[in-house]
Amino acid sequence: MVATAGEPDTLNPVLNFGVDGASLIFDGLVARDATNTLVPALAAELPAVSADGKTVTAKLRSGVSFHDGSPLTAADVVFTYQAVLDPKVDSTLRSDLDMLTTVTAPDPATVVFTLKYSYAPFLQRLTLGIVPAKALTGQDINKAGFNRQPIGTGPYKVESWTAGDRLVLAANDTYWGGKPANRKLIVAFVADDNVRAQRMRAGEFDAAELAPKLAAGFDNATGYTVQRVPTADYRGVMLPLTNPVTADPAVRKALAVGVDRAAMVTGILAGAGEPAFGPIPPTSEYADGSAAGNPSADPAAATALLDAAGWTPGPDGIRAKAGRQAAFTLMYPASDSLRKELALAVTADAKKVGIKVNPEGLTWDAIDTRITRDALLMGFGTPYDPDFVSYKLFGSVFAAQGYFNPGSYKSPIADKALQDGRDQADPAERKAAYATFQQQLAADAPWVFLTYLKHTYVVKAGITGVSPRVEAHEHDVANSLWWNINTWTRS
Amino acid sequence: MVRRRLLVAVPVLIATSIGMFLLGAASPIDPAKQYAGAAAFTATSENLDQIRANWGVDDPLPVQYARWVGNLLQGDLGWSTSRHEPVTAVLGARAGWTLLLVSTALAVVLVSSLVLGTLAAYRRGGLFDRGLRAAAYAVEAMPVFWLGLAAIAVFALSLGWLPAGGLTEVTATTTSAADVARHLILPVGVLAVSQAPWFLLFVRDSVAESLRDDHVLAAKARGLPGRTVLFGHALRTALLPFLTLIGTHLPELVGGAVLVETVFSLPGLGAVTVQAALGSDFPLLAAITLVTTAVVLTANLLTDLAYTAADPRVRLDG
Amino acid sequence: MAELTLRRTRLPRLRLRPGRLGVTIATTVLVLAVAACLFAPLLWPLDQSAVNLARIRLAPSWAHPAGTDDLGRDVAHRTLYGLRVSLLVGAVAALVATVIGGIVGGIAGTLGGRVDRLLMRIVDTVAALPHLLLGIFIVAMLRPSLGAVILSVGLTHWLSTARIVRSELLSLRTRPFIDAAISGGAGRLRVLTRHLLPHVLPKLALATTLMVPHAVWHETALSFLGLGLPPHLASLGNMINDGQGSLLTGAWWASLMPGLVIVIVTLALAAVVARWRDRLDPRVRAELQL
Repeated sequence: MVATAGEPDTLNPVLNFGVDGASLIFDGLVARDATNTLVPALAAELPAVSADGKTVTAKLRSGVSFHDGSPLTAADVVFTYQAVLDPKVDSTLRSDLDMLTTVTAPDPATVVFTLKYSYAPFLQRLTLGIVPAKALTGQDINKAGFNRQPIGTGPYKVESWTAGDRLVLAANDTYWGGKPANRKLIVAFVADDNVRAQRMRAGEFDAAELAPKLAAGFDNATGYTVQRVPTADYRGVMLPLTNPVTADPAVRKALAVGVDRAAMVTGILAGAGEPAFGPIPPTSEYADGSAAGNPSADPAAATALLDAAGWTPGPDGIRAKAGRQAAFTLMYPASDSLRKELALAVTADAKKVGIKVNPEGLTWDAIDTRITRDALLMGFGTPYDPDFVSYKLFGSVFAAQGYFNPGSYKSPIADKALQDGRDQADPAERKAAYATFQQQLAADAPWVFLTYLKHTYVVKAGITGVSPRVEAHEHDVANSLWWNINTWTRS
Repeated sequence: MVRRRLLVAVPVLIATSIGMFLLGAASPIDPAKQYAGAAAFTATSENLDQIRANWGVDDPLPVQYARWVGNLLQGDLGWSTSRHEPVTAVLGARAGWTLLLVSTALAVVLVSSLVLGTLAAYRRGGLFDRGLRAAAYAVEAMPVFWLGLAAIAVFALSLGWLPAGGLTEVTATTTSAADVARHLILPVGVLAVSQAPWFLLFVRDSVAESLRDDHVLAAKARGLPGRTVLFGHALRTALLPFLTLIGTHLPELVGGAVLVETVFSLPGLGAVTVQAALGSDFPLLAAITLVTTAVVLTANLLTDLAYTAADPRVRLDG
Repeated sequence: MAELTLRRTRLPRLRLRPGRLGVTIATTVLVLAVAACLFAPLLWPLDQSAVNLARIRLAPSWAHPAGTDDLGRDVAHRTLYGLRVSLLVGAVAALVATVIGGIVGGIAGTLGGRVDRLLMRIVDTVAALPHLLLGIFIVAMLRPSLGAVILSVGLTHWLSTARIVRSELLSLRTRPFIDAAISGGAGRLRVLTRHLLPHVLPKLALATTLMVPHAVWHETALSFLGLGLPPHLASLGNMINDGQGSLLTGAWWASLMPGLVIVIVTLALAAVVARWRDRLDPRVRAELQL
């Protein structure tokens, strides 16, 4: 019995359910272990990549069957990936598999992926859950009953799903990875943070995700342990380079040193977070420590930067240069209270160094129309590969393309480093490329990174087998603390 | 008369739906991005264009409206973009709980306001009457969501008597009636208390008035016992206009239910309406508004029918 | 239209009957509230975006009579500004509703006949719709914002005004002094501005005032649902919404004061209006559903 706020819209991997694996119901060709290292799942071993990086061959594990008893074959894998590529299917996953040309099955136990260009982290994309072709062929995948009552190969099969209430899963005794230790798993969807905490307190759940402030209330309670799981889920201020004020590097850097990240972590996140200085989390092997700064605010350094650049304080304390006030709008999504609080904290810190920030709470579609001109409190992050989000977020070819690189950051050095990271297969060279990238980003400060979140969970005492691993921005039924719940036991 | 009312109801529903459609068309919201949710940030614009084309949301407005009405007549209310399931399924799964909440609250309001209102009228000017009226005015000034929070703070958090929200204990695998009842005490109570003042004050005033009516005075003069006069005569006279009050107050009760469901996180229509609004889910919002309108119109018709049945002097089509 | 007359005449007239003392207190409260709202920016300015992460969730004390919230902001200070914002939004929205109602009622009352019947049918229809639901729909389609909230209130609250203006105009049409003016050669516009408007305006003013608490409620409800004003803005609905989150962390005070202020101001307004109402003729009273 676990509880979360994030109810998936669908349980079909083709339509974005648990694409990063650990979905409990499905398996991908590969999966990730407790250290997020790739391990074979439905593939017998890690798929082989050809020398030019454009052909990837996977041998299937034998003897795997779906929940309905039918055997898994290469045709199912081909069907799954082709469904994602099919324009008639409303899958946003297609954008992530941009490099994929064809998927074929030379024999029932082999799948061959052909790529347009070599793509170093391609294997990381193979965590996508495999669906049985038989159950979906000839149907409109967007509206198939399968999406609510799916059939997979994972440790649990779906018994029932009451929208807005709970998902009931039953153990799959023929699971290729061994019989699940827990016979039944109920995922309760409780959207309201307060109610979830209240019900956790009443002992209704074995584990629940709670907001940091509410989880802190369980720290001293007997019978519970609080898990603060490190993530790659960052929050930061995107500063558009098209805006006359934020285009000035001095303003951006002054903000970067002027914000009090430590206070945000303790005051807003109740300690469940760590200061962020770049898009690659400190837990990643690609993280470059030299890009990090001071977690506390350094107003003196900030004012020195602004003074040097010619921004002089006006009578109201707001700086100005050449008749232009150091003021800009900071948008945040109105429905996200965490981002609202961070935006207000940035506003208060900026004011101390003479920069006026006007926070504005908007809906996403209102943000859309202004995203290339106004600053935005954004959140992103995946721990799996540094290429995943950053390539599009900071690459100059994606400048001003929707959410990709809204601030039009353009740096030839960063561009080259990102491209190298994608092209090079050698880990050491990739690491060097991403170090360059992070240093360049810290120097240019197109974003003011604020904090990495820690996802907070409360777990009942006496449960063993909980094995937190670094989590991504998105986590609900899939990819949460309970990614390996099939091996949890109660003492 | 029923037929005449229905003849009016149809254009009303058509007008409402056209109005909603125009508003939806004027809306700047991109349904494809709403659908994609967080994935919209990593999806390419061609990807989203294709999804839009699959839905036909870029077709001319009359075409979309005709398609929508056509589907409606076949019982298909469309596809909820925020819940990712048919609108009819959303309504089906949730309408029952809202109906239960609203009808239980209404029953509590009716019974308590009739009893308390009559008693207050009987001893009008007395301590009970004055206290009740003061309380009624005070409660009327309280926003229902604030009342709900106060109830949670007191009864769930401080005293720990009742659950703070939800419909059933999660450990329960089935929805047992006793469990649901325990969870519904606070929401029903809050909704009833917030709606009661109008009804209560109305009963009190009209019973007090009818206590001065000739036939009531006559009954008293005949020496009938006080209780018979009060409940048998005075209350009965006051009951008729009371019926109309229910009809006119139904829309407000629905609004209250939306807020109460949100505060207590009940899986009803109200809560889903708010989610749909936050997700700009036009098909679901349109269906909920339309269905509620139809229900309210029907309820109005029923109260009017009850009225004619109760008082033959009133002819509605006169 | 028998059912309409029936419904309207039979509607309850609930009466708050405040004593002299009550009215005095209520008037004082209202005057103080309005004055506080008007002069607050001069005497006690608030930086809407100021936060103090070092002083979060402090219980009420002398320094912070109503405590501080999740971001270390003074609850009493924000409540004052919340009242200001909510009253302002309420007043503007009530004005919008009055204008819409005035136009519809004016057309119905001046033209009469078929147009009148049609318009009144529309009025009755909109009256049968759940206001909050309709308001949510409007806000959702226009994106939550200040303008959308005002429009949402305006489009759902114009009905009583339309009814008042219409019936007022219809009854005025039969009065001899209007006939005299018309036969004296006065133009349509002149009759309207010189003779009809002065009679209708006082009633419109009352209707607008009466609508303010409703508008405030509508705004707070929308803001509470996260569909109203920008969430960092101090409005009573936003504050109660934020306070909901603070309840479980033990900070019950965050939503207490904004709620109390709504209750007190609504009651005071009701008491003052009750006094005003008693001087009105019964027909208008019925239209206002007093």
